[in-house]
Amino acid sequence: MADHSPLIEVKNLKKYFKVPSGMNHAVDEVSFEICRGQTLGVVGESGCGKSTLGRTIIRLLEATDGNVYLHGEDITHVKGHQLKQAREKMQIVFQDPYSSLNPRLRIESTIMEPLKYSGRYSSKKKMREEANRLMELVGIDERLRQSFPHELDGGRRQRVGIARALALHPDFVVCDEPVSALDVSIQAQVLNLLMDLQEQMGMAYMFVTHDLSVVRHIANDILVMYLGQAVEKAPTEELFHRTLHPYTKALLSAIPSTDIHKPMQRIRLKGEITSPINPKPGCRFAARCPYAAEQCRQPQQLTEILPDHFVKCCRCREINGL
Amino acid sequence: MSEKFLEVKDLRVVYTQNRKTVQAVNGISIRLERGRTLGLVGETGAGKTTIAKAIMRILPDIAAKITGGEIWLDGVDILKLPPDEMMNVRGEKVAMIFQDPMTALNPLMTVGDQILEVIRLHDDCDKKAGMDRAGDMLELVGIPRERYAEYPHQFSGGMKQRVVIAMALACDPELLLADEPTTALDVTIQAQVLDLIRELKEKYNTSMILITHDLGVVAQTCDDVAVIYAGKIVEFGKKEDIFDHPAHPYTIGLFGSLPGMAVGEKRLHSISGLPPDPTALPEGCAFWPRCPHAVEACKGKIPTRKIRGVHFCQCVKEKEELQEVYSHGRS
Repeated sequence: MADHSPLIEVKNLKKYFKVPSGMNHAVDEVSFEICRGQTLGVVGESGCGKSTLGRTIIRLLEATDGNVYLHGEDITHVKGHQLKQAREKMQIVFQDPYSSLNPRLRIESTIMEPLKYSGRYSSKKKMREEANRLMELVGIDERLRQSFPHELDGGRRQRVGIARALALHPDFVVCDEPVSALDVSIQAQVLNLLMDLQEQMGMAYMFVTHDLSVVRHIANDILVMYLGQAVEKAPTEELFHRTLHPYTKALLSAIPSTDIHKPMQRIRLKGEITSPINPKPGCRFAARCPYAAEQCRQPQQLTEILPDHFVKCCRCREINGL
Repeated sequence: MSEKFLEVKDLRVVYTQNRKTVQAVNGISIRLERGRTLGLVGETGAGKTTIAKAIMRILPDIAAKITGGEIWLDGVDILKLPPDEMMNVRGEKVAMIFQDPMTALNPLMTVGDQILEVIRLHDDCDKKAGMDRAGDMLELVGIPRERYAEYPHQFSGGMKQRVVIAMALACDPELLLADEPTTALDVTIQAQVLDLIRELKEKYNTSMILITHDLGVVAQTCDDVAVIYAGKIVEFGKKEDIFDHPAHPYTIGLFGSLPGMAVGEKRLHSISGLPPDPTALPEGCAFWPRCPHAVEACKGKIPTRKIRGVHFCQCVKEKEELQEVYSHGRS
């Protein structure tokens, strides 16, 4: 890909939710950009705001503050026809293949829905042909065309979700844990499929997942989130080889290794992710961090510690001996 | 002490769907000793969950039918137990952790009361003591007991799964059937939950059947591994056998599909094709249409080959050939 201007650019994006006990800072000042044909992996624990981030970018949620640019155009507040146009270019594959499909629509109709609303197809026959092509593309058997979602297992349902997202040839796809419900052999097929499609069509992916081995495989860059904030951002191999943030280190060490002869060297994290409601200004990981100190109570900045490697930790250099 | 605690003999389960017969489980035999953990690995629709549900005897009455086999638990054939006695077995002797924490909980009951319900069903304790224990269970799985009176929607997915685990462990079961218990969880929480399950298992000498597709989880948790394909165990062995010397082409394919932490190639060695249509399983070995080494003989009767010790594999290839396949598959 020669085109290095960012396809999608996110600047200081914030999404707060009002809850009875205050403000839930679900996404707090996240910035990144993704170029054509590139994949950004967003990883973090449940409740860290990674799905909210994806949904806010594609305007399923309204941003509290900050901007989203698609092809250099600010789409944060566009309405009506412009919004519809923007949405055709941005699609999402949802996390939960059980609730993201309409239980009363047959598989074929589900995939045909975006085709219908786009107005690009003149006849039902053409739409049906396109739906069949999409089904073949994602590996759903012809015989399941007239099935309902409840007749399919999770893996096939997720394929329907992928087919639906790809129906309008989007430029940018938010993949919200698309393979976490699938078996490894199918997961591998779907990952290969997503990568092949990216190569063919040059889409940019934002790949939200908690599975770090998947993200390592598919992503060019990785953004690690903790409680709504980006704590570390780096090219994939850099992140795995030179992990700098204490949270990322703990996260990497928790992956169950398939090497049965090497006992896991786990960094045990105590406790749970703390509440994102009215967080204190300091480092949000401090309560669980083995290196927490007085200065962690000050607001933290995402700083470029090494080339292209950003970390939000004031003790980062000290801890890593840099 | 090698006490045979659970023995499943030649279990067969079929589902009837639209007048078609789905052969979900086709002659599965499992032995499990007390305190050991068996991992059931396989793809969606391979019949893993059906096996667990058959042991719990919670298969849907109308659609599913156990057409053969016996399930011996602690010297009793539980398939022959009358429903009311089975009620006592369920929860107290065998408990199940369900796959989907989003739907396994009752949305209209507080999480504490859901745990209390299990406790009071099996234990004659007063409400106060039961609530205390439910609170203990919550703390055991890392949820502050102050959250007793909250509803499932107020919890994150990971926490809901912990509530489900707390419910399953509430009556100290002797056999735990964990159906993808950590699939929906994040790695740090998954590690905590696996630690928790391991600790509790050691403490109470609980046996466990762990159903998962995550080979990393198997590597860290299980003693034995059974690889299931289309309702049959295609390979069985100690964890070391399966991970170091996988023999069946399907097992090898599974390992190749892993987005390995050891990076290298960009494309994954996915197994081509789809799992077979369970209403029309291929003749002979169900894997042959997807197998890179399939020969004519695969459509016939498939022998069970002993590889070493307890390590078995169902494949027409000779032992030596299988090992060759192995080295080829890994190279």
